[in-house]
Amino acid sequence: MELRVTESTENELSIEIAGEDHTFMNVLKGALLEHDDVSAATYDVNPEQSGGQTEPILTIKTEDDADPLECLEDGAVTVREKANSFKNAFEAAA
Amino acid sequence: MSAEYDVEFVEREDREARFLVRGVTPGFANGIRRAMVADVPTMAIDTVRFVENSSVMFDEQLALRLGLVPLTTPPVGEFGEDETVTLSIDVEGPATAYSGDLVSSDDLVEPADENVPIIELKDGQRLEAEADAVIDRGKDHAKHQGGVAVGYRHLQRVEVEGDLPEFEDEESRIIRGVIEDDGELVSTSEFDHDLSNRYPGKEVRIEDVPNAFVFHVETDGSFPIEELVTRAADTIAERATELEDAVQL
Repeated sequence: MELRVTESTENELSIEIAGEDHTFMNVLKGALLEHDDVSAATYDVNPEQSGGQTEPILTIKTEDDADPLECLEDGAVTVREKANSFKNAFEAAA
Repeated sequence: MSAEYDVEFVEREDREARFLVRGVTPGFANGIRRAMVADVPTMAIDTVRFVENSSVMFDEQLALRLGLVPLTTPPVGEFGEDETVTLSIDVEGPATAYSGDLVSSDDLVEPADENVPIIELKDGQRLEAEADAVIDRGKDHAKHQGGVAVGYRHLQRVEVEGDLPEFEDEESRIIRGVIEDDGELVSTSEFDHDLSNRYPGKEVRIEDVPNAFVFHVETDGSFPIEELVTRAADTIAERATELEDAVQL
């Protein structure tokens, strides 16, 4: 997973996450939107045939001087926890 | 704020299952579904060396057919990405070459089904080949998809509103999936997908239960359902961990 920051200000961050697709990006975006300090989160991805930028670009806006990069880290933790708790719930039922 | 999920099986067989997950957002449900289809690696034949092919089809066509034969996938960690398993086939006509004729060099990787026809050989025709199977993801080629026909629907709640007017003709109300009736989960196939069979003469209201999804999962035989679902969740967790590490740098 290669990360490349394309734009960065105090409370806004655009970052390219190479090698990912909707499967992970949409889950990550969903987790970021649940974060209290995140005011906006979205990602943009172009189809492979379109040429040019085809890796997803994630954009995060934060409130109250929260560091977007830290929010991203929190988001990743949330996704991991969700996936693990889903797995545990499934295994408990299985 | 780790979410609390609740999973309950509705139907369950080796290769096919229906289970309800509560407390899941549509986005996360779709992430799991996509991971099951495209991100869980399975074994499939990738390279074929033909020793003899006097059948009516070209080598390439047979190679594609061999590639599409589902193979059982060994447990996680048993197999590296560049490792291969060799399977051989030797059938002489008149006979039909089936997937069951493939002889594997490794007990962990065998054809999942014995009865997939590869080609019908006439008198004097012969197929002899060696094939290398590799592990890869559905994202790269459909032959590596472990989950086939993976989907989900909202759980639907049915409430009886009252009686239908006495002299009105009863109309059928077709729904599909799983309904919740007083906390009991009922597959719609039990009443022929028609609510007027289950609630004759009643007026009913149907609504989607928020954040409750019924997954329908079917595998190609590479591994059981449980394995497919847990591995799909693992791939998402793995990528989240990878992102965490990458951000910390």
